[in-house]
Amino acid sequence: MVKAYTQEHVYKHPWERVTSASWRKYVDPENKRILTHIVEVDTLDRKLDLSSGKLYTTRALTIHAPGPWFIRRIVGQDICHCVESTIIDPKSRSMELTTRNISLQKFVEVEEKIRYDPHPKNPNAWTVCKQQTSIRIKPLSALASMAEKVEQRCAERFLQNSAKGRDVMERICKYLEAEASGISL
Amino acid sequence: MSSKEKKTPSSTSPCAQLRAAYHDCFNRWYSEKFMKGQWDKDECANHWQKYRDCLSQHLEDKHLRRFLEAESGQIDGAATGRNIRE
Repeated sequence: MVKAYTQEHVYKHPWERVTSASWRKYVDPENKRILTHIVEVDTLDRKLDLSSGKLYTTRALTIHAPGPWFIRRIVGQDICHCVESTIIDPKSRSMELTTRNISLQKFVEVEEKIRYDPHPKNPNAWTVCKQQTSIRIKPLSALASMAEKVEQRCAERFLQNSAKGRDVMERICKYLEAEASGISL
Repeated sequence: MSSKEKKTPSSTSPCAQLRAAYHDCFNRWYSEKFMKGQWDKDECANHWQKYRDCLSQHLEDKHLRRFLEAESGQIDGAATGRNIRE
């Protein structure tokens, strides 16, 4: 059984600024107070293809994902390790991130895909963010009997974190915009 | 195998400073060069290398081996075979 959902958000900022903000989201110290579920982020690999201009990056994310006691008893830990792969194509102005869990795989498979593209109606000034998340509780795992409940809770948590992430992104975009026009905030 | 993993505060990570230096370089290069059409030079290669070398040294501390094993299937863009549509 898979629970999947999609979210879409329009940033009234150009694609270049929004993608810059995405890189800063987990890294800038002020954001750590808000995005408390992100414990650690490290870059594992990066490749710049000099001919196409495409930038490939892989990052390791350590996420604090506490669940209710009955889940914790089964799963045994609050920490989840994920790998995020990103491809940025500056020529076509597209950015795609895919994040998957690599720990807790015997219990759950989570995959999140995020795309940032220029807004079709206002490609130079606005950016569309499309986010697709899927959660699958492994059928034979100890969590299977309460799969629906767990998936529901995961979905709620992801939605909360997405909303926080968007707020952080908007803040960074405003800061970058002010910086670009020479105003200091 | 579940292990008790402590929440390591990022500021005490042994590679934190090298990581921060790499991020500073990356953010500057990204907005000032890469986003303005200059993608013919990887300007932060040095910073990246130092940071990466530090990560390799601390492989055991940070359970990075499992990340690296997972990562080797990711960069070529191929799906890892997970079927999320049933």
